[in-house]
Amino acid sequence: MTHVDTKAFFGAGVERHIDSMYGVALRLTRVNTDAEDLVAEAVAKAWASIDTLSDRARFRPWIFRIMHNTFVSDYRKKSIRPIEASFNDGENDDDDLASLLNEQSDDFLVWWSNPEREFFNNLLGEKLLEALDNLPEAFRTVVILVNVEGFTYDETAEVLGIAPGTVRSRMKRGRTLLQKVLWDQRPGLHEGKRP
Amino acid sequence: MKHDIGCLQAIEAFYAYLDGELDDPDSIADFEHHADHCRSCFSRIEIERALNQRIQKTAKHSSPEVLRDRVAELMKRF
Repeated sequence: MTHVDTKAFFGAGVERHIDSMYGVALRLTRVNTDAEDLVAEAVAKAWASIDTLSDRARFRPWIFRIMHNTFVSDYRKKSIRPIEASFNDGENDDDDLASLLNEQSDDFLVWWSNPEREFFNNLLGEKLLEALDNLPEAFRTVVILVNVEGFTYDETAEVLGIAPGTVRSRMKRGRTLLQKVLWDQRPGLHEGKRP
Repeated sequence: MKHDIGCLQAIEAFYAYLDGELDDPDSIADFEHHADHCRSCFSRIEIERALNQRIQKTAKHSSPEVLRDRVAELMKRF
């Protein structure tokens, strides 16, 4: 393939995925301008290493992996927000949902089994984004890649350089944590309380 | 072939089911059979679906024009 063809292929791939890259970058950095910088830097790095893309059908996981590596090596170090280290990051594949649920309170389990549909219908977008942004990074990233961008577990594993089983367990734990955050926002929680 | 699976087994499978990661036809049939007959699991699946849809709708973003222009300028130098 000629330089012109390669450049056309690369440009079309970036064009196709730039919204998705920005969306993921925004949830990683949580700052608009940092997300723009991260995407631009990832595009530059990806072009510089275009020869490492052996299978062009894998363009999407390939460029997202470069972006994630750039985030880890550059942006995360610069972040003034501490990296959350107090959560089990789901590395254990036996971290099954049943054991996760056993850690939760009875009230949460009752709600989780049948939360009010109205609550989801009325849930404000910014509250949901706030809940997502407050997830520890390891879980936030897999939830965004799988849930929002439609990556498969295998593709997500490739992007993050982890095992597919770890993606699966992080998805379970991430969703449970997200539901716990939303549970804390449920209507009526603070009713009757006076300052 | 459909087998009766319990709630615990169904819960273990339902995120994979929702994410399209349950690719064995028998596992899918067993799961759907359970969900069709268990009100509690059916309700959980519906809620998870609703939450997934809200997350997708809320967290999707278009890239800003300034970024698209910046990347276009960058590409000219390649």
